[in-house]
Amino acid sequence: MAAGLSQIGLLFFGVAVAGVIAARIGLSVIPVYVVIGIVLGPNVAGAFDLLYVESGELTTVLGELGIILLLFFLGLEFSIDRLLSTRQRITSAGVIDIVINLPVGIVLGLVLGWSLVESLLLGGIVYISSSAIITKSLIDLGWIANPESEPILGILVFEDLVIAVYLAIVASLVAGGSGLQETATNVGVAMGFLLVLVVAVYYGEQWFERLLDVDGGELFVLRVLGIAVPVAALALALGVSEAVAAFFVGMGFSSTDHKERIEDLLTPVRDVFAAVFFVWIGLGTDPAVVLDVIGLLAIAVVLTAPAKVVSGYYGARQFGLDERRSFRTGVTMVTRGEFSLIIAATAAAGTTEVMTQVIPAFAVGYVLVMSVLGSVLMQYADQLEAVILRRGSTS
Amino acid sequence: MTVYESDLPGVGKKHEIELDDGSRLVVVTHHAGKREVYRRPSEDADSEKLFELSDKLARQVGTILEGAYFQPVKTDRIETLLAGNVVIEWIDVAPESPLVGVTLAGANIRQKYGISIIAIQRGDETIPSPAADTSIESGDTLVVLGQKDACRSFVGHVTGNED
Repeated sequence: MAAGLSQIGLLFFGVAVAGVIAARIGLSVIPVYVVIGIVLGPNVAGAFDLLYVESGELTTVLGELGIILLLFFLGLEFSIDRLLSTRQRITSAGVIDIVINLPVGIVLGLVLGWSLVESLLLGGIVYISSSAIITKSLIDLGWIANPESEPILGILVFEDLVIAVYLAIVASLVAGGSGLQETATNVGVAMGFLLVLVVAVYYGEQWFERLLDVDGGELFVLRVLGIAVPVAALALALGVSEAVAAFFVGMGFSSTDHKERIEDLLTPVRDVFAAVFFVWIGLGTDPAVVLDVIGLLAIAVVLTAPAKVVSGYYGARQFGLDERRSFRTGVTMVTRGEFSLIIAATAAAGTTEVMTQVIPAFAVGYVLVMSVLGSVLMQYADQLEAVILRRGSTS
Repeated sequence: MTVYESDLPGVGKKHEIELDDGSRLVVVTHHAGKREVYRRPSEDADSEKLFELSDKLARQVGTILEGAYFQPVKTDRIETLLAGNVVIEWIDVAPESPLVGVTLAGANIRQKYGISIIAIQRGDETIPSPAADTSIESGDTLVVLGQKDACRSFVGHVTGNED
C-alpha cells in the first residue's frame, strides 16, 4: 500500500517536473513526459538502485485511463458534419496523406522481414501525426490565424477518423492468435461491437442528452466517467480496442448540448491521465532497446519526415494555397506523438518479439525524434522553403 | 465588407474580416472562450497577433465596439464609469419631462450641460448617434456621455426636478 502510493507520488512529482522543463526549453510536454518516464522507470532509476516507479499493473491501469480519455475527447471533438462540409478538400488532402505515409511504414516493415501485422503497426506509427502537439504549435506560432491552419487541421480530422478504424482492426489482428479462423472471429466480434456502438451513437442522441442532464459538476464528471470507462472496459474484455470504444462514446456526446460542459469539466481529468499514459510509456521503455533499433529509427526518420512534407504540401495545394503555405503545412505534419504511442501500446499486447519489444521501443525513439524535429522545422520553415522550393522551381 | 467563417477543429472558430485597406482582421475564438485577434496585412503575409481577450472581456469590448448598449434598463439610472470621472448614463424620459417633443438641437444640450446624447433607445430599436433634428419622445431612454456632475444636473433637467 505505502509502496504503491510512494510510486504514484514519485510519478506525479515527475510529471510536474516534466511540465516545468517543457515550458523552460519551449518543447511540447509529450516527449518530456516520455523521457521523465524512462528516467524514473526500472531501466534507469531502477538500474541505479534508486527509488523507481514500477511498470506494473497500477501504472498500466492509470495509463489505460489516459488512452481512454484521449480517444474519448477525440470522439467528442469529432464531427461528421464538419468533415462533410468541406468534404472534398479534406478528403483529397487526407487521401494523399494516407496513400503516401501509411505504405512507407508497411513497406519498410516488410523489407525488414516482419509479418504483415507487424508491418501494418509500423505503418500506422509513421502515418499518424500528432493532433495535440501540432494544434498547440499552431497556436504558439500564430499560424492558427493563417490559411495554412485549414489544411493542417483538416488532415488531422481525417487522420482521427482513420485511426479509429485502424485501431479497431489492428487491435483485433494483434490479439488474433495463430489461426486464420480465430483472427476472423476476433475481427468479427470487434466489428459487431463497434457496429452496436455506432448504432447507439446514431440513434441514441436523446438518451445521451438526458443521461447528463444533471446539476453540479461532481455528478456530471462522475457520470461521464461512469459511462466511458465501463464501455471501454467491456470492449477490452471482448477483445475490442478500448480506445476505439471510448472514441465512439465521445462521439455520442458530441452532438448533445453537454459537449462544451464536458470539455470544460473533463479536460483537466484527461490531461492528468494522458500525462500518466506518456510517463507509463516511458516506464516500459528500456533505453538499451531503443539504442538497438537506432538503425531502423534513422531509416524511418529519413524516409518518413520527407514523406509527410510531400503529402502535406500536395494536401495544402488541394486547398488552393501558395507554395510557401503548402510547404509550411508539410513541415507541420512531420510531428508525430500521442497516437503513435497508442499504436505502440496496442502492439505491446501482441505475442511476437517484434511487437512486444522492437515496436514499442522504436515508437518511443521515433516520437522523441519526430516531435522535436517537427517543432524545429516549423520554426525554420521559411528559411527551409527558400532553400528547397526555389531550387526546385528553377530546375 | 466580407466576413469569412471557418472551423478550426479542436481549437474553435475563425472569422476573417476584410478591411478597407485590403488587410484582414482575423478573430480566433477558442472553445474555452478566449479570443485572439490578429491582423494580416495582405494575402501573402503572416498574421500578426494584436491582442487576446478572455471570454468576458471580449463581450464587454464587443458591446463598446458595437456602440449599442442593450443592457436591460431596470432601474431609473444605470451608470458606467469611464476613466477621468466620465460616465455613460441611461435616463428614462417620463411623459411629464420638459424635454418631450423637443429636438436635440432645440434642447441645446451640449452647450447647456456639456454632455452628449450618444444614443436613444426607443421601444425595441436604438438610434445610434442621433441627428440634431431628432426629437425626444416620452418613453425614450437617453444614453448620455459626460462628466459625472454634468450628467447629474442633466438628469435633474430631464426629470424636471432641477435644484
